[in-house]
Amino acid sequence: MEINLTPLATLSQIKETPSRRDGIPADLEDDLRAYGAKMIQQAGILLKQKQVAMATAQVLFQRFWYTSSMEKYGIAEIGMGALYLASKLEECPLRMRDVINVYDLLIQQAKHLKSHDISTFHYEPMSYFSQTFYDMKDALIVAEMQLLKRLGFYVDVSLPYGTLVNYLRVLNLLDDGKACQMAWGYLNDALQTPVYAIYPIPVIVCASIFLVIRHLQLPLPSERESELRWWELFDASYDDVWLVCGLIMRLYRPRSQADQLRPSQLLTKKDVRRWLHDHK
Amino acid sequence: MRLGATLPSTTTKVNMDIEPGSSIPRKRVNSTSTADAEERQAKRLRVTGESNSKERSNATKQQKGPEITKGILTRAAHPPIQTSRSVYTYERLNQIEEGSYGVVFRAKDKQTGDIVALKRLKLDEEKYGFPITALREIHSLMQCRHENVVRIREVVVGDTLTQVFIVMDFIEHDLKTLLSLMPNPFLQSEIKTLTLQLLRAVAHCHSHWILHRDLKTSNLLMNNRGIIKVADFGLARRFGDPVEILLGVETYSTPIDIWSVGCIFGELILHEPVFQAKNELEMIGMIFRLLGPPTVEEWPEYESLPLVKTLNMPAPHAPTLRQKFSYLTSSGLNLMASLLAYDPERRISAEEALKHLYFQESPLPKHPDLFPSFPSLAAGEKRRKPFASPSAPERAKAKEEYDYV
Ligand SMILES: Nc1ncnc2c1ncn2[C@@H]1O[C@H](COP(=O)(O)OP(=O)(O)OP(=O)(O)O)[C@@H](O)[C@H]1O
Ligand SMILES: [Mg+2]
Repeated sequence: MEINLTPLATLSQIKETPSRRDGIPADLEDDLRAYGAKMIQQAGILLKQKQVAMATAQVLFQRFWYTSSMEKYGIAEIGMGALYLASKLEECPLRMRDVINVYDLLIQQAKHLKSHDISTFHYEPMSYFSQTFYDMKDALIVAEMQLLKRLGFYVDVSLPYGTLVNYLRVLNLLDDGKACQMAWGYLNDALQTPVYAIYPIPVIVCASIFLVIRHLQLPLPSERESELRWWELFDASYDDVWLVCGLIMRLYRPRSQADQLRPSQLLTKKDVRRWLHDHK
Repeated sequence: MRLGATLPSTTTKVNMDIEPGSSIPRKRVNSTSTADAEERQAKRLRVTGESNSKERSNATKQQKGPEITKGILTRAAHPPIQTSRSVYTYERLNQIEEGSYGVVFRAKDKQTGDIVALKRLKLDEEKYGFPITALREIHSLMQCRHENVVRIREVVVGDTLTQVFIVMDFIEHDLKTLLSLMPNPFLQSEIKTLTLQLLRAVAHCHSHWILHRDLKTSNLLMNNRGIIKVADFGLARRFGDPVEILLGVETYSTPIDIWSVGCIFGELILHEPVFQAKNELEMIGMIFRLLGPPTVEEWPEYESLPLVKTLNMPAPHAPTLRQKFSYLTSSGLNLMASLLAYDPERRISAEEALKHLYFQESPLPKHPDLFPSFPSLAAGEKRRKPFASPSAPERAKAKEEYDYV
């Protein structure tokens, strides 16, 4: 049986991403990746899209920033393109107009948050023939094409869900509803981080289980018999699993209000360029 | 639990050991320096190209380690993330054919000298962005890598957003042109080899949940070493819902490819299409004549099909396969009938067909190396004497080297 493996970032891409090379600090890039991925998820939910399409879109989005800089492409347009493209790849295509409307809403909402509370937000739908619509439509078509080109048309994505079910079964955790749900949650949250673009699926799935075991303090073979380390059953090494755990847990670290707001104000390349200019 | 606070951050501790695309087992690379890794990185080659596997075999030679060491599947086995290269990486040689969907060129890789085929995707006037059919074609080619499926090397782009080309290995012949130019039909032993190869490709695609949906002789390529390569995944689709797959539910979509295999098998024997009809009604008439009108016993659902009520059914009669394929052994006829079974649920699968008695009886399948070679029309080679000379496809004049438009 031939294995078809999905692409992963190279060491040099990880060490210095294109955004980093353009002067965007690492923590800002991380925040923008997370925010853009969350927008994809939110848009997908509003459009009642299947989770596999949202997850695929987020993985493509994460990969994209290993060949392309946030100074040249905005996270909103690339996120929108990724959702549109992934929906085709997963055979549940969306209407262009629907994707555009939902992104327009999310963008307006983000702008509103800068100076107001979410409770006062009112969405102003764009008119059917508005210029904004045509501009966003052009941006969407270009973004989809850029995703394809800048990923070399290699847009196969492996998702972790089937693997998770397998591993939980082997570890006798499949009947533990809480553990399953929690692991599933970590895997979905991990879509906001670059892990799917830098590690194979087994490592990421092990990390999600590792976090669950820690969190729920479940007894497992490794704790009982020191020589058997369960993650090695699944092709993963301790160092890798630990690193992925770290990347996931970083999402939950306490942040200041300003830090939380920052990415929502940098949705376009213009915003990012202005930020770079102001922070020279 | 205070896991978060004590863990490494994204930037401070990236310790990724191995490069994708370099496939050197973990244990070893741990001891090599970063500089080595970076150098390998610099030498890193194309995702889908041969180079990748070359690199892989070098690595294996050095230390005999398989990619999967002690069950640990490393990052190294994965291809890197790379942008599309430019079409100008290739020098255009000649146009092979203009299909309904794209144009195919023969071209040369300027760096390696490899001869390839470039298929330009038709993208103009796309109101809905990149066409889903083109995505399926690329995806299917990548998913179905196999000895008997044409190898996709990469996808390259031109100067504008509408210039996208699939780069494939160049294969000398397509079976349709070859059949029309060959002075003598294929021998039984050769037909067996070709049909087996086709069945292997189809079985492989089906096991990867891909339907081809357009199998016909013009979409089957053959190289000068007697190897068939299935091409043109322009209508290919994924089948089977992930949920269905998990639950092991059989989906009955694969038989449509098997029917086509039956037709190709017949065409190889007859040296002309089995059913040559001007319209669908005539086609149905020909099918009924060859296989006998369907009966409720062999196809229970048949009477409930919407179109059947509108048809003027001929009187029941036995199949005429034996008359049409008079030189075929009874196991050969049995295979043909199984491939062309009316009821999709009873039609043989590619896996089953591969084990059919027909392939085990004399004459045995001929080794591909022993196939005769033919001059390649696609490569612009002259036809030698024994070939009849129907009009050759229009070939573009040697225009500008870079003129891909
Ligand atoms: N890799 C290849 N090597 C050599 N010739 C090729 C290759 N791929 C395609 N061709 C030639 O180009 C023709 C058209 O290619 P293909 O079938 O992929 O495109 P198409 O536009 O879908 O054609 P059609 O609609 O006529 O089936 C083939 O019949 C074959 O003659
Ligand atoms: Mg074709």
